[in-house]
Amino acid sequence: MNVGRPVAVVKRVVADLNVARGERMNIGRVVAVVKRVFADLNHDKRTVGLIVIVPLLFMLAFGFAFQGDVRDVRVLVVNDDNGGGLGNASISDRVIANLDTATLTVDSATNESAAVAEVQNGKAYAVIVFPTNLTETVYGTAAQPPLAAQANPPGIIAINPQAKVSIRVLADKSNTEVSRAIITAVNAAVLKTADENGQSQRLSVDTTGAIYGLNARFIDFFCPGIVCLAIWNLTTLLTLQAFVGEREIGTLQRLFASPLRESELVAGYSIAYGTLGVMQAGLLLAVGVLLFNVIIVGNIILAFATIALLAIVSQALGILLSSVAHSQREAGEFMPFLMLSAVLLSGIIWPIEAIPVWLRPASYLIPTTYAVEAVRSVMMRGWGLSMIWVDIVALLVFAITFLVLAVIMLKKRE
Amino acid sequence: MVKDYIETIDLEKSFGGLQAIDKFTLRVKKGEIFGLLGPNAAGKTTLIKILCSLLMPTGGAAYVLGKRVPDRHIAPLIGYMPQELALYTNVSVHENVEFYGAIFGLSKDQILKRERELLRLIDLEAHTKAIVHNLSGGMQRRVSLACALLHEPPLLFLDEPTVGVDPQLRMSFWDYFEGLKDGGTTILITTHYMDEARRCDRVGFMHAGKLIAEGSPHELLDLTHTDSLEDAFLILSREERG
Repeated sequence: MNVGRPVAVVKRVVADLNVARGERMNIGRVVAVVKRVFADLNHDKRTVGLIVIVPLLFMLAFGFAFQGDVRDVRVLVVNDDNGGGLGNASISDRVIANLDTATLTVDSATNESAAVAEVQNGKAYAVIVFPTNLTETVYGTAAQPPLAAQANPPGIIAINPQAKVSIRVLADKSNTEVSRAIITAVNAAVLKTADENGQSQRLSVDTTGAIYGLNARFIDFFCPGIVCLAIWNLTTLLTLQAFVGEREIGTLQRLFASPLRESELVAGYSIAYGTLGVMQAGLLLAVGVLLFNVIIVGNIILAFATIALLAIVSQALGILLSSVAHSQREAGEFMPFLMLSAVLLSGIIWPIEAIPVWLRPASYLIPTTYAVEAVRSVMMRGWGLSMIWVDIVALLVFAITFLVLAVIMLKKRE
Repeated sequence: MVKDYIETIDLEKSFGGLQAIDKFTLRVKKGEIFGLLGPNAAGKTTLIKILCSLLMPTGGAAYVLGKRVPDRHIAPLIGYMPQELALYTNVSVHENVEFYGAIFGLSKDQILKRERELLRLIDLEAHTKAIVHNLSGGMQRRVSLACALLHEPPLLFLDEPTVGVDPQLRMSFWDYFEGLKDGGTTILITTHYMDEARRCDRVGFMHAGKLIAEGSPHELLDLTHTDSLEDAFLILSREERG
């Protein structure tokens, strides 16, 4: 072994350490940087507020909005069950009585076609059809109801052990979470009833039919939401930053000293960002359709028009917000609020029916709620303008209000 | 026929507790080049912004082209070059000129004609397609000036138009301004350069929002028995402070 080599290695390591010692951190300089950051924050109460408020808001919003189950979903019951002569003890009545009324708001309908029409009009989410022969099939025969009219007759003997019967659930499956909750609730009620009667092998639930969204997957439900979310966030933020930029660099001052009217400026921005919104939506929908086979049942032009309207609402909001943001950094601080409100409260991922009742009014104060509902209805339900007009009117009200406020804000002189 | 293109009477402007313009009375006649001189925060930019209807006065009155400001009707008749760059930096020189030309209602041909004339004046003929943020600060200021001159307004408000511009080009700017004046254009200009101030018909010294003196450069030099406007300003502002 050559002793010289290990010594050379040791010498090199020591030399390295010496260099490292020369370049080591100066704690004084580090402390100076820390102090400067805090001094900066000390003069920027808004950012300090944001540091405290945003995480709290995230926690509260996620806690409240995401822990809830689907609630208050209106379903219509078409009870054709003749009861097999059992009166109130009929299977259909027991299933109905066992439905979870926290999840479902149960109303009766006289016949299936009327009930289906109500779902088609968006007034209910599902029709539960109890067939005529339900009770007699489950109990064996209508002519000889076993120990008829006993409230909860255990050990009924089936005359035809092969007979089976299904309760049909015709759901609007365009909202996958809601339809899943309905089917779960009906299954649970049927299981409970069958368990009470010991006839589980005879009774089943047929959920293969759908009034809307047959074979719909979560991506079909999610796609219209994500398109609206992208338009909402990007358009608002881009306009906000563009206007803050115009203020910072002085172009807005020059324009205000020119014949350009504030309304013309806002109209120009609206058309530009409305067009951009439609282009963005086209790109996103193309990816959705080509890559994920997203369902588009309705008129795509109507969907685009709704998205363009949302883009106009968003850009007007961006201009409005620019009056309270004095720099690009302050403009960026709006991002969490825009994102959070839309994601949690406008039914993009989580249906509004799953938001606590006391929080639901907040959903209707957010433009994306109407846009998501309208675009989803067009894409998945095939609805036309006559069906989504309420959402369109709501978006128009938002658009006009924000545009007028944006013009007023721009006209304001110090 | 309006004789005084600009008239202010006891004009005041305050921001919170800060008096930015204080009892300011001034008249600028048609076809004059009026220079406003004063240190930073003297109120020069605030005054120009009031005259361009960008700020509301808090007292007194101001008239531009015979109309009491703020009044948007004067907008087509004024050219304003703010202290800020006021250009769209992500687009080309031509696109900026084209935009501002369209805002002032110029036709495509008029824009192209004016663009050629003005880019020759500011020595940027070869940079029509250049993206503004790739130009030097001085070049950007020159483009900004060109945008203010596009529509050939009878009244120009130029807030430090020659900052960052080299001396030779500054002189050619002033030759151009004097040419405009000879054609009847009125110019209110702020500057820190005393050699430029000497080329104004009249000069106003501003200090703490007040007009402490005004007159032709010769009158101001005679008044203070000095041979430089800088010294004249220092003497008058010392007197003002008491």
